[in-house]
Amino acid sequence: MFITRMIEEKRRFRRYKERTAQLPSNYRTAVDGFERYLMVFAPNKGSDLQAMLDDLADLFEESAANGTSIREIVGDDPVEFIETFRRNYPIGDWILKEHRRLVRAINLSTENEGDTPAARRTNGSTGEESAS
Amino acid sequence: MGSRQMTEMLKGTLEGVVLALLRGQPAYGYEITTLLREMGFADIVEGTVYALLIRIEQKGLVDVEKRPSEKGPPRKVYSLNARGEQELAEFWTTWSFLSGQLEQLRRKEG
Repeated sequence: MFITRMIEEKRRFRRYKERTAQLPSNYRTAVDGFERYLMVFAPNKGSDLQAMLDDLADLFEESAANGTSIREIVGDDPVEFIETFRRNYPIGDWILKEHRRLVRAINLSTENEGDTPAARRTNGSTGEESAS
Repeated sequence: MGSRQMTEMLKGTLEGVVLALLRGQPAYGYEITTLLREMGFADIVEGTVYALLIRIEQKGLVDVEKRPSEKGPPRKVYSLNARGEQELAEFWTTWSFLSGQLEQLRRKEG
């Protein structure tokens, strides 16, 4: 049910917040930064977003315990890091719907062409694959 | 070695490399990062390896066991399972093809 799911999600989020509050302050600053970024940019649904946050918390907890520095965790480009990280999780329904819509549009637009690269070549509407 | 180029190339192969490292030798994230650094991939960061481990876990290529550690939270220890072995075999086939083609290209050039 919707309400129980909402309560459960809230509970998980609170638990996550309690965990990150225990981190050394510089690790917490980093986690908060990623949390904010994911809240704004992640096209994932709520439960997947929480899974991402929990996994991030795991990473930073373990790294803090091992004394791994923040640069050693995220590298020089934190955006690249979080984007790569994010792509490992399922995308949200609305984005999935747009993916399907795009595939349909391209299928529609290529209806009269053959479907194989070879057919595309003989049609003259070549892609890069026939450049050789 | 251009480190930018290295990073880009490694991106496509890191999964295979990690599967190969896990073969017959379960490890946790930190150990894998250390092994990669020892192999000369100095720019590899912990987070990249961690994200990759999450991915291969979700793809069902590894089994995960949580083991308590003396300091900090329990560690996730990853070991290659049968599906992972299969994926690794495919990776080597693809790699052989790719490196063979590139080697030919280089000989033609030289």
